[in-house]
Amino acid sequence: MQPTSSMKEEFLKKWQMGLQIYRPLIDNTSVSERRKAIKLSADVAMASLRRGTTCWSRALIQKTATEDNFLVRQMLSGIKAETLMNKKLPKVMCHRKIVRRSKKILMRRKSKSVSEEIAAKARKLVKRKTQGLRNVVPGGEFMNNDVLLIQETLDYIVSLQTQVNVMRSIVDAAEAGIER
Amino acid sequence: MMMNGGEATEAELFLNCDDMSVLERQRVQLNYHQYHHPGFEPTLPCFFPNSSKMNVGEVDSFLPSAGLDLPEIYGELHGDARISVSPGNITTEFGNSKKRKFGCVDTETKVCNEKKKMMMMMDREVAVEEEEEEKSKVTEQCTRSIMKMKNKAKKEQNSCSNDSSKVTKDSQRTDYIHVRARRGQATDSHSIAERARREKISGRMKFLQDLVPGCEKITGKAGMLDEIINYVQSLQRQVEFLSMKLATVSPRLDFNIDDIFSKEVVSAPMMNLPNTVMPPHMMVNSGYPHDMVNSGYVHFNPMQQVVTSSDPLSCFNNGQSATMWDSEVQNLYTV
Repeated sequence: MQPTSSMKEEFLKKWQMGLQIYRPLIDNTSVSERRKAIKLSADVAMASLRRGTTCWSRALIQKTATEDNFLVRQMLSGIKAETLMNKKLPKVMCHRKIVRRSKKILMRRKSKSVSEEIAAKARKLVKRKTQGLRNVVPGGEFMNNDVLLIQETLDYIVSLQTQVNVMRSIVDAAEAGIER
Repeated sequence: MMMNGGEATEAELFLNCDDMSVLERQRVQLNYHQYHHPGFEPTLPCFFPNSSKMNVGEVDSFLPSAGLDLPEIYGELHGDARISVSPGNITTEFGNSKKRKFGCVDTETKVCNEKKKMMMMMDREVAVEEEEEEKSKVTEQCTRSIMKMKNKAKKEQNSCSNDSSKVTKDSQRTDYIHVRARRGQATDSHSIAERARREKISGRMKFLQDLVPGCEKITGKAGMLDEIINYVQSLQRQVEFLSMKLATVSPRLDFNIDDIFSKEVVSAPMMNLPNTVMPPHMMVNSGYPHDMVNSGYVHFNPMQQVVTSSDPLSCFNNGQSATMWDSEVQNLYTV
């Protein structure tokens, strides 16, 4: 599924709305401040396209809320903002070190054939990769279900593509405007 | 982890990709079966002589007796057990050894939990029957395990059948989760559930393959995951870079919103060259086949030209642009 033009339009509108909030604050004169403003408003716009239906969008909104609470509150309609920000994402209480140690002990006890070992290594590799994917996708740590993880990744990729396309077109327009 | 459960179901209901069409199709098929074969009684060949006495419209007319008191059990089930079977299934069952399997992951676990709770004789007998079934992986043709729930919402059944990879049967009133195991494989409910889960995952990975450029050739899960991670990271880096660029370009955060308000992608500056040749009046809105919705466009220098958006990913797929981004990103980090 490719990003549709309606998605792009909606994202653009929301993003502009977010940027409007920053415009009266003239003190963001430093480049990094402006960059942060742009990126945060873009992220919230992208996440709000999903209206809280996907896990990654909620996690992203919460993440940006920690950086700029005011922006998030303004950008989302009042009701949604409250519910989204008050929801505390469940903490995954998993002491990875302990789990790993116990697994190692278990592995030692088992005696394996070569093919089994290969399969086990392959499985370990896949697990490590899925963990890496969880680190990249926002809110990934809370998706224990693999199916859910891949579904969220799909949606996240499509949204990212939308975001990148719109931003790039804006940048090109701005540059072209300057080159006049 | 209530939250997770909620999110899981929400996410699963929210399917943002093309397998919605697959599920819709499944649902339509189900409804079709339900609607068109309400009282469908398959005419089974007398393959298993013990079954001849039983009501054909009932569940397991082709399960061998093998020591089970089947008629009595199914006598009790008569009221509830009506399954409509499409003719296609029956011919294939007896014909080839290829089995079709479907399972329901979510409700299966629920069933396992709830069966322990329910003290109805029906379920106990069913549980007994299941155990014996699992012990007797007998027949030349079929091995099957059946799990039944009583008084569960139809909603669950629908979601179950939507989740199941292949639905071959459905019950009319009570909710059945019909699971047929493949030949030569375990009928254990856990392994069936696992298999369904694995098929779901591989199905989703196929969508990802379409989305991520350049992984048609990669077959393994690990390689695919690698590509996906790289792609997501590169997209995130692009966003960072673009926002930095935008910040440097416009000191007052005022972008030329108007001309971008429509869906068009602004062309690269190199397109301006032909404009010098064309007379300015050609740049008017109405002259363009691709309509610019806004009037803000006329404020613009006629040297600018807007074209319809090309395939959004085409510029991304260019290997060149990728390297260009990378070098620019490196500049970004050195600043």
